[in-house]
Amino acid sequence: MRCVSLIEVAQLRKVFRRADKKPGLAGSVRHLVERRFVDKVAVDDIDLRVEAGEAVAYVGPNGAGKSTTVKMLTGVLVPTSGTVHVEGRVPHKDRIANARRVGVVFGQRTQLWWDLPVRDSLELLRDMHGLSDADYRRNLERLDATLGLAELLPVTARKLSLGQRMRADLAAALVHTPPIVFLDEPTIGLDIAVKDRVRAFVRELVAEGTTVMLTTHDLGDIEDICRRLVIIDQGRIVYDGDIGTVVETYARERTMHFSVAEAPASLAGIAARLPDAAVAEGPSDAQLDVTFDPAVVSSARVLAAVQAEADVVDLRIDEPAIEDVVRRVYAGELGAGGMQ
Amino acid sequence: MSAAALLEAAPSGRLPFAGRTRARRSMARTAFRSLVAHQVSFLFGLLATAFAVLSMLYLWRAVLANGPLHGFDWPHMRAYLLVTFVAGSLVSSYVDYRMAGRILQGDVAMDLVRPVGYQDARFAEALGFGVYELGTGLLVAAVAALAFGGVPGPAPGELGAFVVSALLVMPLRFGIVYMSGLVVFWTQNYIGVQAGRIALVTLCSGALVPIAFFPGWAQDVLTYLPFAGMASTPALVYVGHLAGAEAWRAVAVQAFWVVGLWLLGRALWGAASRQLTVHGG
Ligand SMILES: Nc1ncnc2c1ncn2[C@@H]1O[C@H](COP(=O)(O)OP(=O)(O)OP(=O)(O)O)[C@@H](O)[C@H]1O
Ligand SMILES: [Mg+2]
Repeated sequence: MRCVSLIEVAQLRKVFRRADKKPGLAGSVRHLVERRFVDKVAVDDIDLRVEAGEAVAYVGPNGAGKSTTVKMLTGVLVPTSGTVHVEGRVPHKDRIANARRVGVVFGQRTQLWWDLPVRDSLELLRDMHGLSDADYRRNLERLDATLGLAELLPVTARKLSLGQRMRADLAAALVHTPPIVFLDEPTIGLDIAVKDRVRAFVRELVAEGTTVMLTTHDLGDIEDICRRLVIIDQGRIVYDGDIGTVVETYARERTMHFSVAEAPASLAGIAARLPDAAVAEGPSDAQLDVTFDPAVVSSARVLAAVQAEADVVDLRIDEPAIEDVVRRVYAGELGAGGMQ
Repeated sequence: MSAAALLEAAPSGRLPFAGRTRARRSMARTAFRSLVAHQVSFLFGLLATAFAVLSMLYLWRAVLANGPLHGFDWPHMRAYLLVTFVAGSLVSSYVDYRMAGRILQGDVAMDLVRPVGYQDARFAEALGFGVYELGTGLLVAAVAALAFGGVPGPAPGELGAFVVSALLVMPLRFGIVYMSGLVVFWTQNYIGVQAGRIALVTLCSGALVPIAFFPGWAQDVLTYLPFAGMASTPALVYVGHLAGAEAWRAVAVQAFWVVGLWLLGRALWGAASRQLTVHGG
């Protein structure tokens, strides 16, 4: 098969067999005699092509099959059926050659040796990838500039905070300057400052021409990094297209949650002042929510309208979550335009 | 060099031989360091093995109090037990403990995104752990030997066979430990597998009771199974019970199983990675 795209995935499918065991010892014993399994289709015949230099956001709700896809792209898992090619190689057959060309971060896991300083783990990776000392030093300097690596090098991995650990893990995944990078939730559990740092780092990778596939639940991660959005749900790709379209259509709405000193007799007054927004009661008496499109109604106008009718004690703004977008896209709200 | 040029320059394919050697050495060194980092568990491990070897020696001294049995007098039995003890301390359980834990928790995914063969990498790590295990094993054995009035030296004339036999112990033990670690892909539980493996190896390798004490038919079978080479063979060569052509034949059986278990391990890994799964996010 001739491969034209950098990453080519066709009719890719992964089915997990899970033992169907009743709870307890009795269940376990029974399972020995009567082996019953349930099949779980984690990835359901997906097609995907990624060109060199693209930055693709790969998103979807929990259990959608994102990590499973990444694992097949990196040769960790063998597909049940279908084909995967990365630079023309089949990752699980040519795992080692593939591993030298790709960098992978699984946010919930670490590449680092837990009991050793970060430096030792990186030096091990240097030797595994056969980097010369000069190349290694130069790559470390590059990584240090954006990730602040130097201060982490002498620290034992188990003593790193989550954010520090993620920075060290990014360095570990990229120490061999791979042209293809898979990032599976690289910002999970990080505070805003570290998130920003990681995002800036990934943006830089993309600017340098690295092909990046980014999995995340954080819309903020993808908006300023990726141009292309692929949404997967229950193992199927439900959207593949321009990120701007989706964000403009579905991620425009913000919700402002107000706490007020005294519940207004009726919300009608506020609603009358804000004809283009949805006003609803909040979870308790003295709370109310206003959902609006900032392009149509400004936040300031919303605030002014509510203040005119009630005494605002506190407010909080909710950015749209990627899950909402996915749900709405899946529910068919997005026209066929973006669909494959 | 520009970033784009760096990306272009990123190599592919397998490393050349020298690079692979460097990678293996690095893996071994890293494994070794990670053990040294645990000084407390080091001390406890040392104490536990010291007690194990001392109780073995006391037991056998009592058994042999009335004279030699099956060709073993007390000084030679001491030598035999200490050699099997050192052999038994190699590839004890760090390798499979780590492997099984990583498979069960899904961290094996991180082992697989690295550009090294899975079995190769585990073997290199086992060598690193092995340096540590050999060091502590020899230390305990030396102290025990002193406490019990020394041990006779290796049988003269068998030194060559002994050295080769001793060198084959580690890869041989690795073969069985590696496979028992892989079994968790199917069993999803390791405690039982490990306990079973340890019991089997301890009994069949002659580490508890020399194979000469077993019934005749069992001796015949055990001679050709891989277990004898994991402890009994080098110890018997050391004390001179296996000599000349017989010693080399036993070494050949060891070598056969080193290759055989390596290939079996590879096949098992193939089966495991094809149909089985890696857990979690
Ligand atoms: N080893 C496994 N055995 C059985 N089922 C599995 C296994 N790994 C994943 N699954 C199932 O496959 C489905 C997809 O899992 P996957 O980890 O790919 O989801 P995900 O999109 O990465 O989700 P998340 O956002 O929660 O990380 C889930 O239903 C999960 O329970
Ligand atoms: Mg996941």
